[in-house]
Amino acid sequence: MNVVTNNEDKCNLALIALKDVLDPEVGLNVVDLGLIYSLNFNEDKNYIFVIMTLTTQFCPMGESIRDNVKQTLEELFKGYNVDIDVVFDPPWSMELISEEGRQFLDR
Amino acid sequence: MISNSNLVKNTTHKAVIPFYAYAALSFLVATILLVLSSKAFGAHYFQPPILAVTHTMALGWGTMMILGASHQLFPVLIEGKLFSNLLAYLSFALTGSGIPLLVYAFYTFNMNCPAQCGALLINLGIFCFLVNITASLISSKKRNVHAFFALAATLWLFTATIVGFLLVLNFTRPILAKDSLHYLSLHAHLGIGGWFLLMIIGVGTRLIPMFLISKYTRPAILWTIFVLINMALAGFILIFLYAAKRYLFAIPVAAIFTAVGLFAFYCYQAYQKRIRKQTDNQIRISLLSILMMGVPTVLLAVITILLVISQADARLITAYGFSIFFGWITAIIFGMTFKTLPFIVWNKVYHHRAGLGKTPSPKDLHNAKIFNLMSIAYLSGFILFVSGILINYSLLLEVSAFALLLAAALYNWNVYRVIFHTPTK
Repeated sequence: MNVVTNNEDKCNLALIALKDVLDPEVGLNVVDLGLIYSLNFNEDKNYIFVIMTLTTQFCPMGESIRDNVKQTLEELFKGYNVDIDVVFDPPWSMELISEEGRQFLDR
Repeated sequence: MISNSNLVKNTTHKAVIPFYAYAALSFLVATILLVLSSKAFGAHYFQPPILAVTHTMALGWGTMMILGASHQLFPVLIEGKLFSNLLAYLSFALTGSGIPLLVYAFYTFNMNCPAQCGALLINLGIFCFLVNITASLISSKKRNVHAFFALAATLWLFTATIVGFLLVLNFTRPILAKDSLHYLSLHAHLGIGGWFLLMIIGVGTRLIPMFLISKYTRPAILWTIFVLINMALAGFILIFLYAAKRYLFAIPVAAIFTAVGLFAFYCYQAYQKRIRKQTDNQIRISLLSILMMGVPTVLLAVITILLVISQADARLITAYGFSIFFGWITAIIFGMTFKTLPFIVWNKVYHHRAGLGKTPSPKDLHNAKIFNLMSIAYLSGFILFVSGILINYSLLLEVSAFALLLAAALYNWNVYRVIFHTPTK
């Protein structure tokens, strides 16, 4: 899991919270799936910038997963605005899945 | 702030769910008709009850389900949005009101107003769908092989329903060179090969890898399948209309054989390269449907060989048609219903609650035990009914028709349970 960030402490807090956000089809959380590319914090303007992806651009649950990430971060960091960009370049690949995620999928 | 540009916009559930509800009821009606007329399946296929059951299955069950799912999935395939919800509603209203008229007409063999009005309404409904699909494709930013499969399939469907309308008219006033029975195989294969085969392969090769979480994709194989099926259909029409040589039918049959084989190979590769090792029962029955394609494909080859030598047994032809509608098409619909409908309903009920507490998983919206019971009733009913047709054993046909009715009832129970799901607190 290599999430790009400018604030390690807050990023770690965010990733712990985001482990509750599941991709409903896979049944695995967005962090272990490797869907979160970057989490950057602007303390002056109270902004969180998230760059994330989905396992497939065709995901019918895409909006829901994205909204879930946004709500979770807004709940955790009260007073912050969350700006999410869903990108498909670079595309998601199975190499992005964490070790725990692999164990879950191999069951 | 949220960047929406890269996300596919879902079609409103109002344009999708009515088709699922209609298709489920149609399947129940078809199995009731099957129970009432199971003995007819031991004789020649051109009989009112068989025509009624076949059109309930082909139009009410298979086509309505695919039309509904297409309104949801086509925007996904083209990474755009559906051109018009109004056309989707019109398509439902017109096709949905035409089907009962046509089925009633076949059951009572009244080829006047009920059949003609029904066929006309169905054609108008399919035309609305064709316009919607074409306009959506034109206004989309991306066009991939799956979208071309869907467009070509819809064109073949419209051709099949136009031919069907002409055949209905031909019953009461001769407008074609020969009687309607002569053109039946042409009409049937435009629908089976052009509509169902192209659409199911086009959408299936997108959905099956997606649900398996497999990154396998080979557009070259899909384009080969696309060309093979379309060439086979064009060749079949030409041979049917202009060549009297029966052995020539072996050419389009060989092309279809190759296309089905390539589709099976594609799905096998996607399965082998899947990331998630566990597969659920919905995916298992979807994969089983691919194997079940082998039954009509083999029967088609046998029928073609027999036709070249002398004459094909009518029971073989009935078994061929039955294994398409009650076998392959029904199995893939069973699997895909519970992979798509729960997500559509979940998005409707829980989308606004994203991140605001625990919600049930989409897959929990249907009852897995009922699904398993349905699968057992269905598979046993299907195998026994095909056997009953082939050996012409009335008791077997009656018992297996009841098993299929049970499967349809359980399917409906689960579908309506999902559709009427109310949010948990």
